[in-house]
Amino acid sequence: MTRALTIEVLYPEIANLHGDLANIDYLAQCRPDARIVRTALTDTPAFASDRADLVYLGPLTERGQLTAIERLRPHRAALEASIEAGVSFLFTHNAAEVLGERIRNDDMGYDIAGVGVFPLEAELRMFGRYSGKVLGSAPEAGADHPVVGYKSQFSMVTAPESLPGFLTAERGVGRSTSTAVEGVRRQNFIGTSLIGPLLVLNPHFTRGLLARLDPDTQPTLAHESLALAAYDARLAGFRDDRRWHPFERVTAQPNDEATRASPVSASTKT
Amino acid sequence: MVRVLPAGRVLLAVWAGKLAALALRALGRAGTHVPGLIARRLHPGILAGVQHPPRVVVVTGTNGKTTASNLLTEALLAQGLRVASNRNGSNLAAGIAATLIGAVDWRGRSRADIAVLEMDERSAKLVLPGLAPDLLVCTNLTRDSIKRNAHPAYIAWLVSSALPASTELVLNADDLITSSLGTAADGSAINPRTHFAVDRLPTDGTRPSGAAVDVQICPVSDHLLEWDYWRYNHIGKAHCPACGFRSPDAAYRVTSVDAAAGTLGLDLAGEVLSARLINDNIVNVYNEVAVAATLDRLGIAKDGIIGALARIEPPTTRFAEETVAGVRLVRQLTKGLVGVACSRAFAYLASFPGRKAVVLTIDEVSERETDVENVAWTYDADYEYLAHAGVERIAVGGVRRHDQALRLAIAGVDPARIVTVAAETDAAEVLDLDGADAVFNLHSVHNAESTGNLVQARLRERLRASGGPR
Repeated sequence: MTRALTIEVLYPEIANLHGDLANIDYLAQCRPDARIVRTALTDTPAFASDRADLVYLGPLTERGQLTAIERLRPHRAALEASIEAGVSFLFTHNAAEVLGERIRNDDMGYDIAGVGVFPLEAELRMFGRYSGKVLGSAPEAGADHPVVGYKSQFSMVTAPESLPGFLTAERGVGRSTSTAVEGVRRQNFIGTSLIGPLLVLNPHFTRGLLARLDPDTQPTLAHESLALAAYDARLAGFRDDRRWHPFERVTAQPNDEATRASPVSASTKT
Repeated sequence: MVRVLPAGRVLLAVWAGKLAALALRALGRAGTHVPGLIARRLHPGILAGVQHPPRVVVVTGTNGKTTASNLLTEALLAQGLRVASNRNGSNLAAGIAATLIGAVDWRGRSRADIAVLEMDERSAKLVLPGLAPDLLVCTNLTRDSIKRNAHPAYIAWLVSSALPASTELVLNADDLITSSLGTAADGSAINPRTHFAVDRLPTDGTRPSGAAVDVQICPVSDHLLEWDYWRYNHIGKAHCPACGFRSPDAAYRVTSVDAAAGTLGLDLAGEVLSARLINDNIVNVYNEVAVAATLDRLGIAKDGIIGALARIEPPTTRFAEETVAGVRLVRQLTKGLVGVACSRAFAYLASFPGRKAVVLTIDEVSERETDVENVAWTYDADYEYLAHAGVERIAVGGVRRHDQALRLAIAGVDPARIVTVAAETDAAEVLDLDGADAVFNLHSVHNAESTGNLVQARLRERLRASGGPR
């Protein structure tokens, strides 16, 4: 029997860049019965006071990151408890950075502590925006349907290699240009820098996410044939060597065991 | 005023730039960028070193900077002033350097009375510290390319952090990101400033909508803003119900727009006058009041401003309309990769009455062969305008047709009304024109010549053959 899903969107008034709120628009079309809770900066988050099946935070400006840290810091214990309890989270673009330990931005002149849920450190370079593609498998969709997505960001993230990623990039870079490990994953928390939007670009992944959110309901994708056609076309492009650039390769660090163990085969543009 | 002649290295860079410009012109090229590149290579500080005209005005912003700087140049020329302008050249640092070098003689002495320089907003760091303009006009700051521009607050930071404190700002009061330029963290003004605005229009609302509303909260209290009027994106007049923060008052305002009569009411710092409406597109209404405000700040008499607005040529528009066999055929240029620009094009299309058929070919060509386009920008665009308003058929052509079709469906367009074809020109073949009152050809800048013309010609041909609406 279908049960109503509660999807909480944190701070949509500031976390709305790069078209990424379409992740939620698409989910809502896949599950028209879902209850969408939009939590404003002046509200108490639903995950802290009520039940949420999925908590979403989208791309923020630099100032927006600082505001989100300020607002989420009082709820750190509730966040950690929700993650440990298996609540699903999806934080896209730079949103997961607010849950890290530190965000450093020398160009704008700040170095501040994050909420501290994950051992991540983000460094922003305001004159060095990185844009590129990422291709890699995630368990929600399996190796037959790898995740495709884009990065367009000022930040690079460092984290212990022991911290699981959302995926390991077969092509493209991960948390930084020196690792293929992309994003962060703990229980059902997914943090990824990928935009596109992720759930629109990856119908197989979205189906897997819907199945996890509500195992008793057969997941249905909105506009399935169109979404699959777009995915197949993009995947074909991502499998084309000519469309990968040298800057989209992981640059191995001398003492980085994980990077050496997971070489990235992206070829140079011909 | 005693003018100090430039030192030797500056003069060397000026000569090199001038010789390069002469050589390029002899080869039939415009020479509006390379001479500046060469001069900057010889003297990185050439923007500061070359002698400036007595007044320097910079015009920047996401949309309208070309139009506003062209209008301003024309108005100043009409005053009999010698104007150094990059209106036919590059708006990057090298183009601005080339313009200033072109405006001095071989001895390095300025021959212009004033410079009006359009500046790409991302070039602020390279241009503003050395140029130290007297006035900086900013038309607006809205979302642009995700890859190049990130978000408008980033662009505001880029401009603000490069602004000399002496530069007077002429800012759009209806844009809280633009009006934050040259302020300290606590909101206090660093730069002297004046504002322009367009008063509430009948088409305005009070509740923002759409994908790209970049100011929703009060910068002081974080509470949701209330809007006295909301126009599009984050353009409008707002206040905070919690702390009293509000949009700045504008000394220069459009008080009314009468498109039928071709006039607008213009409040020039307390004196309300009637002026010619140069173009009724709202972005151009803002451009007109920005130009009027700047002319007033430059000391042009008010009757001179009104006279200038009456004479200057309307800007080139991004659309063209013809009637073929009784059907309106509208060609409209959009900017692929820039969602908010597409939203304005879609809103314009939606404003047409009757039944509509649309050819949509707005892939980004630069990514076709060597990359795979990031279509995130399409979710910054309000395709929802195409879901209603009599849009009965949409033919999508191009590499990213499946992405476009999915975006349209998510926006609420019935997939049965969408046809996709691989070749852009084939979209003009498969679009069902039967019963359409208006047919639209929406293409991007890059494919205007390659396929936009062919699509237009084929639509025209088919409409003629059909004999018009039934």
